[in-house]
Amino acid sequence: MSEAPAPRLRRSVGRSAVDARHVLVAVLCVVGVVAAWWFVLAQATGPLPTPATVLGRTAAFIGNLLGAATDAPPAYAQLERWVDMSGLVFDTLVMSVLAMGLAGAGALVSIGSASRLMMVGDVGTRRQVLGRAVLLLTRGTHAVLRSVPELIWAMLIVFVLRPGILAGAIALALHELGVLGRLGSDVLDDLDPAPLRSLRSAGAGSPQLLMYGALPQVLPQLVTYLLYRWEIVIRATVVVGFITGAGLGHQLRLSLSFRRWTEVALVLLLYVLIVWVVEAIASWLRRLAR
Amino acid sequence: MSSTSQRRRLVVTRPRPTARTALSVLLIGAFVLAFLGLDTTDDLIHQGGLQAAARLARSLLAPDLSPEFLVIVLDATLVTVSYAVAGMTVAIVIGIPGAVIVSGVLVRGRRARAVSSVLSRGTFGFLRAMHELVWALLFLAILGLTPVAGILAIGVPYGATLARVLGEHLQNAPKEVILALRSSGASRWQELVYGRVPVASGDIVAYLAYRFECAVRAAAVLSFIGLGGIGYRLNLALHDFRFDRVWPLIAALVGLIAIIDVVSARTRRTLQA
Repeated sequence: MSEAPAPRLRRSVGRSAVDARHVLVAVLCVVGVVAAWWFVLAQATGPLPTPATVLGRTAAFIGNLLGAATDAPPAYAQLERWVDMSGLVFDTLVMSVLAMGLAGAGALVSIGSASRLMMVGDVGTRRQVLGRAVLLLTRGTHAVLRSVPELIWAMLIVFVLRPGILAGAIALALHELGVLGRLGSDVLDDLDPAPLRSLRSAGAGSPQLLMYGALPQVLPQLVTYLLYRWEIVIRATVVVGFITGAGLGHQLRLSLSFRRWTEVALVLLLYVLIVWVVEAIASWLRRLAR
Repeated sequence: MSSTSQRRRLVVTRPRPTARTALSVLLIGAFVLAFLGLDTTDDLIHQGGLQAAARLARSLLAPDLSPEFLVIVLDATLVTVSYAVAGMTVAIVIGIPGAVIVSGVLVRGRRARAVSSVLSRGTFGFLRAMHELVWALLFLAILGLTPVAGILAIGVPYGATLARVLGEHLQNAPKEVILALRSSGASRWQELVYGRVPVASGDIVAYLAYRFECAVRAAAVLSFIGLGGIGYRLNLALHDFRFDRVWPLIAALVGLIAIIDVVSARTRRTLQA
């Protein structure tokens, strides 16, 4: 354990600090960054705000959130507004739980066929060509699912499904399935192949191999990942709610477009609270999984 | 050796079935309750939904690959990448000094370190809690429709995330390395530059690459506040029911993420070779 870091340190100290490859990477990075900034700022239709305007307007905005723009009592100071919003908080939570459940179930079903160890080689299926084809197909599907953000899935889904909590959950689940599929199949690939090999040589078929050899070993890790991703999904749930018209996200969009700033403040407050509560619950549950 | 360690692992994992059973019951129970709580009075699929799905699927076989549209796809892709790069530069400018502050490695004394860590964690924790598109909506409300809103929407939350994660990487430097430097008279600053950063450099580059990938995905949906890029074109295509234009745009996004994956893996190898 105490030996582990030594070779890495020696390697980085022993090499000359400046190296042609480093210079090349650095120059390419700088050129890329300058080109990107120029290209983005060229998209502007009007004059760009100066740092002073950005700061000034941000300060004014924060003032508005606190209630500077209106004489009415701020929304976040009224108990009944908190009660009104609690339904939206509940909907948001339900959407995230549904999304994680759907994504977790999908991952459980698909990670076996996305694992190189389980599909090819001496542990894999006997029909190697078929195994390889299924492996590529599943991995490709996971990659596509995770490359497309939740919001774009939501934009596509509202063409087919009625906007609401379930549509949002499905949009979230599609992206999450891609992420969990990748994480889960990586865990499977890191398994010790020996016990699996002996199961295989004792005549176990692929489903049995997955059920009795692999899943019991990876399930705790998979549940840990699921809980970590829940913390990320709860943030995204609000955003998907913009499109599928459900939960806090929908309310945030309404409040912003009606310029009810103190209501915006209340929604943001609830949002941050819900994220922190989910983080606390997830870290408590992770301890159970260990 | 291996048989004893395996036996030990069995003994360690065996005696806590109750916690795991409780967890399984909790998770599955929450999922079932969430499903039962759904309002199912309306149909899930709306009128014409199936036809829309069929048209989406059919257009997968006949995507619009005309040269004019491919130029649009290329331009949208470049806009999206550029937003991601610009956002990431802001994130790095916030995140790297932030990481040093969060990790508290430059501060002497346990109490000063605890204070610096709690203060910065609180601030960054608040910035981190909100999704980048929520930030985008807020910056839109503050600044109006300008590319700066999109850049800051990516830069601010990602900067806070970088500060936390990279700060942890800096903290987790192996004790031997730090003690060796300290015993040869290195200052805190030298400890950071010659000890903590080189040891964590691989992890830092890997995390930056992962965040860049996330930034590309975020930049792709900045259309949501009216900025250009892949999402903007996708929105137009969907509004015009031009489903044949949806798939080339999605393919561009998937390809972009795949390219970043490959390039980042190669860069990491170049840096570590």
